[in-house]
Amino acid sequence: MNKSEFLNKMSVRWVIALKEEAKVILDYYEMALINKKTLYPIFKNIEETHWLILSGIGRHNSAAATSYLYIISNASKWTSWINIGIAGSGKGDYGNIYLVDKIFNQNSYITYPATMPKSNLPKMSLLTTDIPITNYSSKELIDMEGSAFFDIASKLTSKEFICIMKIISDGPENNIKQLTKLRIIELLKLNLTKIAQVVSYYENLSENENQIKEKPEIFFKISSNWHFSVTQLSQLENLLRRLKVFCDNNEIMDLIKQSKSSSSVINSLNNKIKTNKVNWSDI
Amino acid sequence: MIETIYIEKKIKNHPRTKSILKKFKKSRFIEIDKYAEIFNKRNQNFRIQKANPNLILAHKNDGFVLRTPEGFGIGSSKNFYFSHMYNCIYDCRYCFLQGMFSSANYVIFVNFEDFDASIKNVIDQNINYKITFFSGYDCDSLALENVTGFAKHILPIFQQYPEVEIEFRTKSIQREPFMSIEPMENVIMAYSLIPDLMSSSLDNKVPSISKRIQVISDLALRGWKIGLRFDPLIHGKDWKFLYEDLLEKVYNSIPLEAIHSVSVGPLRFPKKMFKDIFNLHPHEPLFTSPLYSNDGIISYDTNIEEEMSVFCKNLTLKYLDNSQIFRCYA
Repeated sequence: MNKSEFLNKMSVRWVIALKEEAKVILDYYEMALINKKTLYPIFKNIEETHWLILSGIGRHNSAAATSYLYIISNASKWTSWINIGIAGSGKGDYGNIYLVDKIFNQNSYITYPATMPKSNLPKMSLLTTDIPITNYSSKELIDMEGSAFFDIASKLTSKEFICIMKIISDGPENNIKQLTKLRIIELLKLNLTKIAQVVSYYENLSENENQIKEKPEIFFKISSNWHFSVTQLSQLENLLRRLKVFCDNNEIMDLIKQSKSSSSVINSLNNKIKTNKVNWSDI
Repeated sequence: MIETIYIEKKIKNHPRTKSILKKFKKSRFIEIDKYAEIFNKRNQNFRIQKANPNLILAHKNDGFVLRTPEGFGIGSSKNFYFSHMYNCIYDCRYCFLQGMFSSANYVIFVNFEDFDASIKNVIDQNINYKITFFSGYDCDSLALENVTGFAKHILPIFQQYPEVEIEFRTKSIQREPFMSIEPMENVIMAYSLIPDLMSSSLDNKVPSISKRIQVISDLALRGWKIGLRFDPLIHGKDWKFLYEDLLEKVYNSIPLEAIHSVSVGPLRFPKKMFKDIFNLHPHEPLFTSPLYSNDGIISYDTNIEEEMSVFCKNLTLKYLDNSQIFRCYA
């Protein structure tokens, strides 16, 4: 697949707080710093299907970076958004990775991610705090970005396209003071296979949605040959989506080649639908 | 396999909650305040959720029993419905639920006793009318019976009111509790059917037509009253042949004296609902049919609707009385 074929096929956007958390991801998905002055460091792969922003620590940074990446990378409504990083935990196993299925912050505001990938990864709830917490008590996962990332990402896309994964890096028996940059990189590396499996689900989700939602190619050809009003463009798009199920592009062009006006195009396409009898034995 | 079950705190200790949760030992349980925190929120995608839906156990606060829409019924002067559940384990391409909810998770309301009270109240208030209740308008009434036990729970109420009809409408092949209890004259086991060829394309995750006919036959032989719901009527190439095949097969497999009623209903969607469903499935062959917008409703051309309804009615008249046949417009 060449670059243009990849473009708009699937898209994944990563929001990660620290460069140590991002390093393994950047290497694996072959992303490099973009050649442009930006508010936050931004990376992308050659195909421009994966983009990653280093947000820095904290909710405000995460929210701002998510919005910023959305704009800079021209993300679509069917872009998958991923936040991954280390987290403290009073319950889970050190070094293990978890999918987040409940997010709350210290204001008690609770949100729930939607459908998750069918995966063997265990799930946990995430508390996002504004200050580092070392009283882990019974908390499942604790971070400083997750809730803000989710709040903003869920304004940019459908909730099914948003994923938060956390790797337990500290807890009652693993002092945060012993956490080094190298150890963070190692924790990510140890979980890379699992991460890639989950991300593969989100890549497919994005690609499938793109195939379902993208305008038929012939739409652009027809709309550039006749002058359509905004209402007519919407009608044209709907008609073409329906016709594409049982006609190829040549058949469609044959139907409208004599049309003198946009209304005539719409009428011709409507007439084709009007006479269609679905052949259920072909489906 | 349900991966996650959300449980409203208010009903977490309800005996029915506990009994349902026992059936999902491997699921993850998450406590929530209100089911609306998860269900039908903005920015959700019904189609994607349908691939891996979760379960929500909730408490319903009001609206237990409602009047059916105009044009929905099988002969009674007043018709009511109730739904102990939102959404369905099946995924039928013409189903209005996919346009009604943005979420495909299943919601089960566990406070069945409040449904009981509302049903009794409606019966008391309509003592001079012939009334019919429809179970499961916002779901399939029996598909999750082995989890909810709702039909088993609600049937004794209707034993107390033999003059009041209740219809369980389903596409499932659920036999219990009906095979284990004595048939009741006022209970209608109603089955939605479309021709086999169309069903294999449109009725996703649904038992095959032949399996459904087998269960209908078994229940009829056991003594239960049967409703046949050719609703929606689906158009397409050879539709006459396909419907003739279906109707003949059904009428020749079931003891005719067991048939309570037959209804035929056209394929219809409110315009906004159709738009949402079409956006979810723009490549669906069903939507390449000649569908038109008329007075805010998307449907086949009136001539097609009429021709299909009359065709099915005439075929049915070979086996049943005209008084048993109804046209449904809702």
